[in-house]
Amino acid sequence: MRPNLLTRRGVLLGTAGVALAAHCGAPAVARSEPLRIGLLTSLSGPFTSLGESMRAGLELLIADAGGQMGGRPVELLVEDDGGKPEEGLRKVRKLIAQDGIDVLGGVISAGVALAIRDVVTEAGLPTFISNASANALAREAASPLVFRPTKTSWMLGHTGALWTFQNIAKDGGLTVGADYAAGREYIGDFVQTFQEQGGSVGTQLWTPLGTTDFSPILTTIAAEQPSFVYAFFAGADAVRFLQQMQEYQLQDLVKLIGPGALFDQEDVVPAAGSAALGGINTFQQSPTAPAAHGFVEAYRAARGRLPGEASTAGYVTGQVIRAGLEAVAGDPSDRERFRQALLEQPIETVIGPMRFDPRNNQAVLDIYVNELVAGPDGQPLNTVVHTYAGVQDPGPAG
Amino acid sequence: MGFYLIQTLNAVAFSVLLMLCGLGLSLVLSLMNFVNLTHGASYLFGSYVAVVWLGSGAPWWLAVPAAFLAAALAGLLLDRFPFARFYGRNHLAQVLLTYGLSVMFADLMRLGFGAEIRSPALPDLLRGVVFVLGMPFPIYRLVLILAGGVLALVLWYLFDRTIWGAVVRASVADRRMVETLGLDTSRVFAVVMAIAAGLGGLSGALGVGMLSAYPGLDEEILLHALFVVVLGGLGTFRGTVAGAFILGFAMTFARVWLPEFAGFLTLLAIALLLVLRPDGLVAPRLRQV
Repeated sequence: MRPNLLTRRGVLLGTAGVALAAHCGAPAVARSEPLRIGLLTSLSGPFTSLGESMRAGLELLIADAGGQMGGRPVELLVEDDGGKPEEGLRKVRKLIAQDGIDVLGGVISAGVALAIRDVVTEAGLPTFISNASANALAREAASPLVFRPTKTSWMLGHTGALWTFQNIAKDGGLTVGADYAAGREYIGDFVQTFQEQGGSVGTQLWTPLGTTDFSPILTTIAAEQPSFVYAFFAGADAVRFLQQMQEYQLQDLVKLIGPGALFDQEDVVPAAGSAALGGINTFQQSPTAPAAHGFVEAYRAARGRLPGEASTAGYVTGQVIRAGLEAVAGDPSDRERFRQALLEQPIETVIGPMRFDPRNNQAVLDIYVNELVAGPDGQPLNTVVHTYAGVQDPGPAG
Repeated sequence: MGFYLIQTLNAVAFSVLLMLCGLGLSLVLSLMNFVNLTHGASYLFGSYVAVVWLGSGAPWWLAVPAAFLAAALAGLLLDRFPFARFYGRNHLAQVLLTYGLSVMFADLMRLGFGAEIRSPALPDLLRGVVFVLGMPFPIYRLVLILAGGVLALVLWYLFDRTIWGAVVRASVADRRMVETLGLDTSRVFAVVMAIAAGLGGLSGALGVGMLSAYPGLDEEILLHALFVVVLGGLGTFRGTVAGAFILGFAMTFARVWLPEFAGFLTLLAIALLLVLRPDGLVAPRLRQV
C-alpha cells in the first residue's frame, strides 16, 4: 500500500461521514463520534523540521489505519508549541478545554514535556510523549496517565557505554557534549555505566548549545588522540560537529559514538553527508531494523526520504494509541481500563516489540547499535550491527 | 606549541567570520545611522544561494559572487521600498520595521529552502588539511582567512581612501549640503545598502562551509554581528575589525581553557569592555541626532 498525502487527507475528511453511516446500529453513541487525537509538536522554532516529520509520521499511521482506531473515526488536531514550555502549556490547555481531545501525543522538547506533565495529569488526559527523553519522566516525574513510547536518555547512554566498553576501548576515551539538560543526561549516564564496567573516561568537554565553531575542541581532540569520542549533539549542532570533524580529518582517526540523535537518519545524515560515515550510535530505532521494513518504504513513498527519530516516533505513537484503543473498543473514557489495556499487552511497533513498565509507564525497548555505512545510494545508512533486547530504565527507584 | 599555534589559527578563522558578519551591519549602522536587523537574513540567504549554487554543478568559485549579487539585489529592492523612507526616522522605528521584515524573511526562506539543515557540496580542493607542527588545520579556513583579509582591505580603501567613500560619509554627516553640491544622496544610500546586504550574503556563502544553513541561523548571526559592532564601536572600520578579533579570540580560548564556562566568559569579557569603553573599542566622534 502506497498512501500519498492527497488520499490521506481525503480519508481523514471523509471518515466522519462514512463512519456515521457504517455504525448506524452501534450500541454506544460515543462510538460513532470521531475520536480526537491532539498532537502537540514544534512547527516553528528550533525543532521545526522534527515537528513536521513527527506530524507526517502520525498522519501516515492514521492513513494506514484507514482513518479509524478501535472502530471509531479519528480526527487529528495539531498544535504548534514552538519548542517553548509556556507555549506548549497554553496549547495543551486549549486542546483540553476548547477542543475536548481524547488523547494527546507528541512533544519534541523535554522542557515542554515536563511543563505539561501536571496539567495533563490533573485533567486525566491519556498522554503519549513521543520524543522527549528526559529521565525524570520515568522517575520522579512519572505520572499514571503519561506514557512514553520512546527511550529515556539513560537507555541510550547506558547501552552506548556497554558497546564501547566491549568493542572499542576500556580507557583513553573522551566525551564532548552540548551543555544542557539532555547532553548532561546522555553523557552522565554513559560515563556512569562505563565506569561501572570497570572502564575509565578521560577529559570531559562541554560546549554551549548552538555552538557555531567547534575548532577549539577539535584541536584538543587532535592533540589528545583519544581511543574514542562519545559525543552528544542534535540537529544543526550535530551536522556542524560531524562536518568539522571531517574538515579537521579526525573522522578516520577517532572512533565516534553517540546517542542516535548525533546520526539521525532524517535530520542529520542528509546534511552531514559523508561526514557521518563510520560513526556508531545506540538508538531505539533504525531504518534497517527488521521491524521497520514496511514503514520505511511507506514513509519514503510519502516524503521521498528515509525516516528519522521524529517521524518514526510519530508513527509509533499512533501505533500505541491504536493498540490501546482497539483493546478498549475505541472508548478511552474509562481511564483506568485504558491504562490497564496498555500495560497488559506488548505492542508490535515499527521500532520492535514494546511493553510498558507498570511502575512509570515507560516503554521497555530494544536498543539497536547502528553503524553508519554507505548504503545502496552511497549515502551513509544507519545499519544495525547489534541489538540490546528489552532495555528497561531503572525507573523511580533508580 | 603546535597546539597553541593551531588554536590561534582557529581563533583567527572564527574572528574573520565574525568580522565578515559585522562589516555589513556596521556599514549601514555607522555610515547611514540605520539599524538593519535584516542583516542575519541576508547572511542566511547568501548561505542558501551558495548551497543551491554548489549543488547545481556550476563553477564552485562563482558561488560567492553569486551570493553577493543575489543578496545585493535584495538589498537594493529593500532600499527602494521600504528602507529609504526610514533612513531619517529614529532607531526605534527602524528596529520595528527591520525586525518585522527579518521575521517575514525567515518564514519565506523556510518555505523556499525547507526547514532541513542544508550544507554545501564543497569542492575537493577546499576539503583538505595542512599539517602545522603535526596538527591538522583545514584549507577551507585558510581560504576564509585570506578572503576575509582581502575583503576588509578593499572595503577600508573604498570607504576611507576614495572620493566615493568621502561622498558617502559626507552624505551621512550633512545630507542637504551634499545635495546642494548636485549629488543624489538617495542613490548613494541605495548603493551602500546594496553593498551591505551583499556583504551579508557574501559572508553567508563563505561561512556556510563552517556553519551550514538552517532556519534560526539568521538570528544567531545577527546576534554575533551586533556583539561585534557594539564592542568595536559605531562608525569605525577598525573598531569592527578589532571587535571581531576580540570576540573571536575570547570565544575560542574560553573554549580551549574552560569550555563549560565559554558562554559566560565571553559575555563577561564583552560586559567588562563595555563598562570600560562604553562607546566601543575605537570610539568615534559621533553626533547623535
